[in-house]
Amino acid sequence: MSILASSDRVAGAASVGRTKRLRPSYWPFVVPALVVVVGVIVFPWVFTLWMSAMEWRVGEEQRFVGLQNYVRLATDLRFLEALGHTLVYTALSVVAPLVLGTAAALAFNTKLPARGLLRGIFVMPMMATPVAIALVWTMMFHPQLGVLNYLLSQIGIGPLQWVYHPSTVILSLVLVETWQWTPLVMLIVLGGLASLPTEPYESAQIDGATAWQRFRYLTLPMIKPFLMVAVIIRSIDALKSFDILYTITQGGPGTASETINLYLYSVAFTYYDIGYGSAIAVVFFVLIILLSLVLLHLRQRSAWNSGDGK
Amino acid sequence: MASVSIRNVRKSYGPVEIIKGVSIDIQDGEFVILVGPSGCGKSTLLRMIAGLEEISGGTVAIDDRVVNDVPPKDRDIAMVFQNYALYPHMTIADNMSFALRLKNTAKSEIAAKVERAAGILGLGPLLGRFPRQLSGGQRQRVAMGRAIVRDPKVFLFDEPLSNLDAKLRVQMRTEIKEMHQRLKTTTVYVTHDQIEAMTMADKIVVMHDGIIEQIGAPLDLYDNPANMFVAGFIGSPAMNFIPGSIGGDGFTTEDGSRLPLGGRVPAASDGRPAVYGVRPEHFRLADEGLAAEVVVVEPTGSETQMVLRPLGVKAGREDRKRELTWVLRERTGARPGEVVRIAPDPALAHLFNPDTGLRL
Repeated sequence: MSILASSDRVAGAASVGRTKRLRPSYWPFVVPALVVVVGVIVFPWVFTLWMSAMEWRVGEEQRFVGLQNYVRLATDLRFLEALGHTLVYTALSVVAPLVLGTAAALAFNTKLPARGLLRGIFVMPMMATPVAIALVWTMMFHPQLGVLNYLLSQIGIGPLQWVYHPSTVILSLVLVETWQWTPLVMLIVLGGLASLPTEPYESAQIDGATAWQRFRYLTLPMIKPFLMVAVIIRSIDALKSFDILYTITQGGPGTASETINLYLYSVAFTYYDIGYGSAIAVVFFVLIILLSLVLLHLRQRSAWNSGDGK
Repeated sequence: MASVSIRNVRKSYGPVEIIKGVSIDIQDGEFVILVGPSGCGKSTLLRMIAGLEEISGGTVAIDDRVVNDVPPKDRDIAMVFQNYALYPHMTIADNMSFALRLKNTAKSEIAAKVERAAGILGLGPLLGRFPRQLSGGQRQRVAMGRAIVRDPKVFLFDEPLSNLDAKLRVQMRTEIKEMHQRLKTTTVYVTHDQIEAMTMADKIVVMHDGIIEQIGAPLDLYDNPANMFVAGFIGSPAMNFIPGSIGGDGFTTEDGSRLPLGGRVPAASDGRPAVYGVRPEHFRLADEGLAAEVVVVEPTGSETQMVLRPLGVKAGREDRKRELTWVLRERTGARPGEVVRIAPDPALAHLFNPDTGLRL
């Protein structure tokens, strides 16, 4: 009964809204935003969907092929391999900065000497342009001339092939990504740590919790919402990562570090197969949306400090 | 169950000494309240007993064991904080069992203890909720439950009722007292509210500026305050202080009125300046005595409180403290502006040295 009543009320409210929306005096306020949204978001989207249903090579006749591009994707080994690379690369580029960034935040949250200066230095990688970073790391990765192998040789390790060998290329790229984005996670978590109440820690001290137990049972659960924010930002960033990968390896050696982004780029702008490229873009988009939904759901569940936690 | 012995304890932050040598003996099972105005060092002293603050000098002993260098968790104490200090991300049950889980207590034992504490405090239906879903009073009860579950030697309370509204405060006061009567655990309780101290304590320690002004049973402090600070701090409304001098067999106020001393004139004190202290409820209407103008009449139903301005005292901010408070049980038709004559009960009056504040 109450459900009926409330749905009636909602319907009533909606109809009130509709009559209001028709009033012409409101239009001038909506039109600019509407034009921008339709122009740069909705139209490209619909157009991409449409292109993905075409056989469309630059310089050739366009032909409607329905879902054929998607069928081709399902059996395209290079695509499936790129999908795997993307997932591995993303997972590692989320976890590594998360662990290191949290550790750094805990360190910077203590009364470290020269804390402000150290923190400033620590966040510097974040400020640099990815392409510039990529070029510097490319030099550092060089097996003969790079500084990394020189340093390793000093402690009797190596030489490693870094980005020049299929088995280490993804790990090496993750290293760059981690170096650049650990500071971001550190800043997010540090903000979280600063917002934590102090009294539960005194209480825990009396309850007999050791430093590790205080971290495990108090700090970690209480900064979980912040960690989730970091995970969401990092996941989306790592998924769409392009500049570092393209500059350092272009997906090589061979296709050992080719992610969906890079494959999409090759298909669309090297082979000029616009229709097939659009299909890849659509699948990639769906993947990002799904991942975001999962993460947002997890983020809501991790929030102990708002809502009612159910 | 345990005794607590505080011997000449000091605390300084850099050059500033907050607690200047304090000694208190707390018997097994006693409910002791540290009371004093803000900044008197009472909370710091409590935190030193808990082990949350380092002790700069002197010793704190629990059950004859000096605990100065013992970490909080090994002192076998439980503390209830003013802002509850609950673990916000844990359910009530988890909050209460946290200490036991850290000690790897058997699950069945944890369940039994939590259930018992929840029963004592009426928290049963709330065990699955989170702290943010509870009202202030319920949170405070959880904080107490967390202490009970530990079954400690000593309970420490740091202004536990300050964040509650007036009505709830009175209710929780009763609950804490009942809990103490039932568990008989040695308790040290800090408050700035002298009514809390009077109603709950076996023994009150009045602190001021880092020293102890007086230790005693509530009514003992009320009847025999050692100095003007205690006399003014304990009791509400506060004691009236009337400056003047001792002369003959009585007391002469500054404006020349005579107040009786009931033959309790201290030796060799003729003409000596003194302060006459009398509680608001120890005045009565009289034919002679102080003549004063009624300023405000505040009936509360059970009693009537009146602010009086002795004739000769000008109205104005500086003379506010010369005004007298009179509390009478009977209802009265007195109106502002009327002049009444009141006399103190000499048997219940106190004389203080105006320079040292000590009782004569």
